[in-house]
Amino acid sequence: MKILVVDDFSTMRRIVKNLLRELGFTNLDEADDGQTAWPKLKAGGYDFLVTDWNMPGMTGIDLLKTVRATPETANMPVLLVTAESKREQIIEAAQAGVNGYIIKPFTAATLKEKIDKIFARSAS
Amino acid sequence: MQNGKERQEFLAKAKQLVANIEANEDVAAAELLSSMSYEREESLFNEVGQLTRQLHDNLADFSIEGQLSSLTDKGIPDAKERLNHVIDMTNEAANTTLNAIDEVLPVTAELQESSDQLLKKWNKFIGRELSLTEFKVMSGEISKFLEASCKNTKFVHTKANEIVLAQGFQDLTGQIIKKVITLVQDVEDSLVDLVRIAGSADQPQAEVNNVKGVLEGPIVPGIEVEGAVNSQDEVDDLLSSLGF
Repeated sequence: MKILVVDDFSTMRRIVKNLLRELGFTNLDEADDGQTAWPKLKAGGYDFLVTDWNMPGMTGIDLLKTVRATPETANMPVLLVTAESKREQIIEAAQAGVNGYIIKPFTAATLKEKIDKIFARSAS
Repeated sequence: MQNGKERQEFLAKAKQLVANIEANEDVAAAELLSSMSYEREESLFNEVGQLTRQLHDNLADFSIEGQLSSLTDKGIPDAKERLNHVIDMTNEAANTTLNAIDEVLPVTAELQESSDQLLKKWNKFIGRELSLTEFKVMSGEISKFLEASCKNTKFVHTKANEIVLAQGFQDLTGQIIKKVITLVQDVEDSLVDLVRIAGSADQPQAEVNNVKGVLEGPIVPGIEVEGAVNSQDEVDDLLSSLGF
């Protein structure tokens, strides 16, 4: 399983990648915003997207919408990991088709729980 | 300045004044003079009044008062809360990291000491210098050491992950500090505009902050964000209410 981790802060990308490795995911790639992430996703080969919301260039919500609007990536599971905590934003993400929403700061247990849930759903 | 009609009236009154003085009509001349100076004062007051009103209108149109008072009433206290929260977060991250290291160091020291002791005995065993009794003791020690190694390396691993997770402060404080930088920029812009408007009669268009659609960034204790959730549990509840 190949995962793309998108965040404009390199420390957060390292943290998420580290935690994903702990969970047994070793095929990891990264991008620093939606603009650099999208060409990678479009080129194919990714199975799961973990993205921040607030990023320069292209935000995570726009990336999610683009992913959903493109037939090749429309079914890819997407997990938002963000500091944005407004209800209207969570609802917007849900309406855009997000598969999980984690607010920062988060714990390793939360990340595991959400990922387990996403894959349990996509398996069923 | 007076217009043509006012000038004509003023000239007529001046001529009348000269005529009154030449005819030795002192009382009439004094009354006329006094009425003329009263009119002058009244027109000056009117002009000052007009200027004051114009300045007030300019400020109101520009909404600089609103901007500045919103910055001082809300923006700057919020910035203080945000920066205090940055101090708290960096403090917490540093403490989490140092605590984890404090717990790990004695464990690694113990591992190292046991390894040293076992290595010495092992080398004696390789050199056939160990008696059977000593070998039995060493075997027991090796068993204990391997057990402790499994447990302790797992512990070190857990602590290392705690340290990794604690570095999340860099992202969150970075986002908060960026917001404060934006606020400082807003204050600077408002002050520059205030200086400009006070120095000239220009009426620059106010740039109204667009509040809707702005990303709020990390939760900061003490700063209420309308419609924000306070925990991951609330996010989960909200999503499950939406059928997730």
